[in-house]
Amino acid sequence: MTAAFALSGVSKHYEDFALKDIDLHMPEGQVMGLVGVNGAGKTTLLRILSGLTRADTGSVEVLGHVMPADQVAAKKHIGIASEDMRLFKTQTLRWHMDFIRTIYPDWDEAYAQDLLRRFDLRAGQKLAGFSHGQRVKALLLLNFARRPRLLLLDEPTTGLDPVARDEVLQVLAEVLRDEARSVLFSSHNTQDIEQIADTISFVHQGRLLASKDKEVFIDEWRRILCQGTWEGAGDWPEIAAARRNGSMLELKVRQFSEAIIERLQAQGLEIRSTEAMSLEEIFVTTVRSGAAA
Amino acid sequence: MSAFEINTPVIRQLIVKDWILFQKQLALCVTAGIVALCLIGMAKGWSFYLGSLLLIIVLVSAACFSISTSMLVERKDQTLAFVMSLPVSPLDYYLAKLVGSLITFLAPFLVILVGTVAVILLTPLPDGLLMLALLLFGHVLLAYSVSLCVAMAVESEGWNIFAMVGSMVLINPMIMLIGQIKSISSHFEGDHVVWNAPAISILLTQLIVSIAVLLITGWVHTRKKSFY
Amino acid sequence: MNAELFLSASSGVPMYRQIVDQITAKVMAGDWPPGHPLPSIRELASASQVSVITVKRAYAELGNAGVIVTRHGMGSFVAESTELPVALLRTEFHQHLDALLACAARLGLSPEQIRQALDDAQSAAPTDSPRGNMP
Repeated sequence: MTAAFALSGVSKHYEDFALKDIDLHMPEGQVMGLVGVNGAGKTTLLRILSGLTRADTGSVEVLGHVMPADQVAAKKHIGIASEDMRLFKTQTLRWHMDFIRTIYPDWDEAYAQDLLRRFDLRAGQKLAGFSHGQRVKALLLLNFARRPRLLLLDEPTTGLDPVARDEVLQVLAEVLRDEARSVLFSSHNTQDIEQIADTISFVHQGRLLASKDKEVFIDEWRRILCQGTWEGAGDWPEIAAARRNGSMLELKVRQFSEAIIERLQAQGLEIRSTEAMSLEEIFVTTVRSGAAA
Repeated sequence: MSAFEINTPVIRQLIVKDWILFQKQLALCVTAGIVALCLIGMAKGWSFYLGSLLLIIVLVSAACFSISTSMLVERKDQTLAFVMSLPVSPLDYYLAKLVGSLITFLAPFLVILVGTVAVILLTPLPDGLLMLALLLFGHVLLAYSVSLCVAMAVESEGWNIFAMVGSMVLINPMIMLIGQIKSISSHFEGDHVVWNAPAISILLTQLIVSIAVLLITGWVHTRKKSFY
Repeated sequence: MNAELFLSASSGVPMYRQIVDQITAKVMAGDWPPGHPLPSIRELASASQVSVITVKRAYAELGNAGVIVTRHGMGSFVAESTELPVALLRTEFHQHLDALLACAARLGLSPEQIRQALDDAQSAAPTDSPRGNMP
């Protein structure tokens, strides 16, 4: 099976930021969510994959093409949308649609019309009059309507109103139907990622903290509420975070298993509840414990 | 880099795009150029002076507009990332920009050049003046190439404006310099265009340096690391 | 075939669990009779806006529970087995058990107290059933 993309040993240094030694690959047909705070390196990573930036070291392969050498062949099948990518202000959306259509033979006009309606956009309007949300949707429309094999989307839902966000997620979900198409998208909104991503990658301070199947991710973490006087929480590598208030002890545990419950009970703790954590909680806990380590 | 295969259809689309974006300024420049030529053609002292001034202004603005529409605005409005997300290599982009800019600049430039030649030769103006006109057009072409080169290689807007204004303003010392070269300037008032060695060598230098500068830009551009 | 399931991101129940529950409910209600083909994993994921991997996991659990069978290269079908009602009842039993445990946790009941409550309930029940070990 071809990989949608494969990064190995990729680094990129800027004056005040560096992406360090990234190894990451995604099989075709998957949706990968990229989670990280602002400035974590998500955008740089996406730019390297889209050929907009050349990595300092390491190898980059996208849809079987070596980047940036084979970027023309790769970019024919990649759709790229990011916040800092703008369209031509003096021209209408229709002009942009025709422009893209002349470049990509796969343009699907019927689908484009459908997306226009669903995104509530007017083709005859000049881009200068578009709001932020409309600009984002216009750029997504130009990408979606040509059905690229790999979509690289930097914050596709940021700044959209809830209705537009839901529409965008629905269109992204339609991409899932085709097992040859893949999506890599970053978002602040972990709920979006939790919903449709197969794999989740955490990026923090230019490093890849983790990249796993979403189900594994969610399964491995538990929030355990217990009662007792045990003070040894800091010594267990499985415990990523611990808070105490009187006799109540809240533990956030990675690599959860029933054995941990038994071991905690052996320490004289009474287990009150064991709950799955949301992706957001997992991310915040990972970043905090990673930063402390 | 195996970027030597050139993606002609996309390059053509990019050039057409630059042309469409530039249309309004182009019409403006050509109109102003024709007005200037009419003034020069009247061959009265005041109108010749006014016309020449307007002509130089039109030439310089055509050059600046062309560079700013195709290069600076693309960067400032962040449409560069959009263009680079299309199936193009840095070399393709460079070629598209080069040809696009040259067309958008050369269109008004050539229209005005032909007009100038016609006005000088067909009106009572002394034909010898043509050499001065050609040398000045040559200077604008050179200044344009240098500014285009800086615009492609340097991201700072300040440096770009400096390069454009600086190289264009040099037209003034250029006129004085030509005036100093008696073997050229002594024929300006004459009835014939005099093609002598000093004049031809200056013209050729302007042309060759312009082309060299554009080639060097291409070399620099394909080695750039970021396009957004 | 409309593959859409009605899933909620805010219910607190994991997505795969919601899928298992809804498909089980559809099978029990007869919406999907034995032998009925299930939507493909991608189809269901796309229609319900959940990730492919989540649906895969749900199908795997449904397969383990005997609710569906997956034939290689042909897709998944509602199980024909006569064991089906038993399997579904077992699934339902486990769901109640999970709910019971969650409720007990909220009350702060210890495992011993839960066991005690179970014993009491069973001895009070009219039928005499042998006491089995909870898995």
